[in-house]
Amino acid sequence: MSEINLSDIHKSFGKVEVIPGVSFSVERGEFVSLLGPSGCGKTTLLRIVAGLETVSSGRVDIAGTDVTHLPPEKRDIAMMFQSYALLPHLSVAENVRFPLRMRGIGSRDEQNERVKTALDTVQLSHLGDRRARQLSGGQQQRVALARAIVSRPKVLLLDEPLSNLDARLREDMQVELIEIHKNLGLTTLFVTHDQEEALSLSDRIILIKGGRIEQEGTPAHIYAQPSTSFASQFLGSANMLSAVVEDTGSGPMAVLGDGQRLPLALDEAARGAVSLALRQEDLVLSDASDANDGGGLKAKVRARVYLGARNRYVLELAGASLRILTGNDQLFARGDDVSLTIAHERIRVLAP
Amino acid sequence: MTDRLENMALVMPGLLLLGLAFILPVLQMLVLSVSGPDGFTLEHFTRFLSDSYYLGILWRTVRLSALITLITALIGFPLAYIMAKSGPRLRLWLTLIVILPLMTSVVIRTFGWIVLLGRSGMIPSMLRDLGLVGRSFSIIQTESAIVIGMVQVLLPFMTLSVLGVVMSIDGRLEEAARTMGCSFMKTIRTVVLPLSLPGIVAGGLLVFTLSASSFVTPSLLGGSRIQVLAGSIYNAVTQTLEWEFAAAQAVILFVGVALVLVPYLSVAGRRNG
Repeated sequence: MSEINLSDIHKSFGKVEVIPGVSFSVERGEFVSLLGPSGCGKTTLLRIVAGLETVSSGRVDIAGTDVTHLPPEKRDIAMMFQSYALLPHLSVAENVRFPLRMRGIGSRDEQNERVKTALDTVQLSHLGDRRARQLSGGQQQRVALARAIVSRPKVLLLDEPLSNLDARLREDMQVELIEIHKNLGLTTLFVTHDQEEALSLSDRIILIKGGRIEQEGTPAHIYAQPSTSFASQFLGSANMLSAVVEDTGSGPMAVLGDGQRLPLALDEAARGAVSLALRQEDLVLSDASDANDGGGLKAKVRARVYLGARNRYVLELAGASLRILTGNDQLFARGDDVSLTIAHERIRVLAP
Repeated sequence: MTDRLENMALVMPGLLLLGLAFILPVLQMLVLSVSGPDGFTLEHFTRFLSDSYYLGILWRTVRLSALITLITALIGFPLAYIMAKSGPRLRLWLTLIVILPLMTSVVIRTFGWIVLLGRSGMIPSMLRDLGLVGRSFSIIQTESAIVIGMVQVLLPFMTLSVLGVVMSIDGRLEEAARTMGCSFMKTIRTVVLPLSLPGIVAGGLLVFTLSASSFVTPSLLGGSRIQVLAGSIYNAVTQTLEWEFAAAQAVILFVGVALVLVPYLSVAGRRNG
């Protein structure tokens, strides 16, 4: 049974319709990410589930109950905010106790016990007496998480909770979030604009663009088989090349703007004008003057960005600029002619 | 010039003004309050503190000021909250309306209240017509009239002090409280009110001191029978020409206000950590 169910949600702010009809559901115990660029409506959808935003039309169910017109406090949810939203006039422990006190859960002793357990879970039990604002960003983050799980809500809503942390802390928190999610079996809806975060945390990703669902599926599926050029660019920032597909004797062939040809997988059905999505990590770079160059695409190096473990090259190919990631074994300089190859099953052919 | 000297130079004009225009007169007043025909005396203080009439005036002054402060807080906090949550245009209009009483002359404003509250005024006669009150009912020349008139003038001080603080409260805190099981009213009580306390304290400070020392509105609306300390000082200065006694009363007012405010501030300060 699905724990969260949204059916045909419409939402307008004044004359602007930000959600033009969206339906999706989240199964019990599932971790689902709403992924999209800023302003795509993903946060509005989360706020609709929380009850912080009303719907223009449509229906919201949580745990099989119609909550469309219930205020947030009557919904069995917990929400974690990007800004943490810890109450500055309360201590850390009082912040974590707050939802229990307000919902009237348990006696004072039970509440203490649960606050302690929640703070233990996020490894902050030693800071219970501090004021929220005396903590570092990462610690505040953990307090917010403890506060969200302390009431054991049916549904946990996370609004970009990791985006204010530095890279190292964010990775730690991701691991912690997954563990807590698995241990408590919480149904989690997670909003993010960070594709890596969505890929690493989610059971399922719902990609949102302009208030609509662009594509949904497991991280592996949505990464490997993006159905639109937006999906392929947003997840893994693939390179897009426009081409025309022609049938030759030996199978379908993509002809680029400058006449270069690229063989496609044999079962590729598309014909005519297309967009080719080429992942940065799938492209292999070699020296154009190499004798054993197996008919790769000719391109020119425009820039190299040293990333430590890897190099990113910006290449010019058929009037478009391509970004590719390579190791450190072979270095090219600006202006070098290079040859590009890619396994043809790695090429994703999309509508232009 | 060092930073310290530079800072001193910068505050000097202000300090000088404060010294000449405030501290000097206050010292002079202190001296005056303890001077008699034969030099130093405490007779003005003993006269005030042993006369139940004057003690009644002091008590009334403190009591009414506290009541006025309480009422402005009760009206000002919700008003400030609504102003903080409304759009910038509406907020501008509301601010104008709130400070409107300060833009009219105190005499005009007070005579307006006399017209409304007097024995044959609009409000008492309406209440009489409705049969809610007796024949001789009047609001003017009662403590209620003083409170009504003072609340109107002092409301902007409370409202604007609270507004500044409420505006700075992160709206997400209220939303977070809602998702944690608070109804709207409970959110106000457990989140907004505690966080607005510094504004309410500051506003209360302003309102209390201003109402304890105010003179025109209480004497016009309360009449000569219901005197407050400022009015009594005025009488001593202008009618009975007992300047030393007036100075002693002013010192008592000063000390009285301080006695109320110091514990108030220390309690409020502790609560805000």
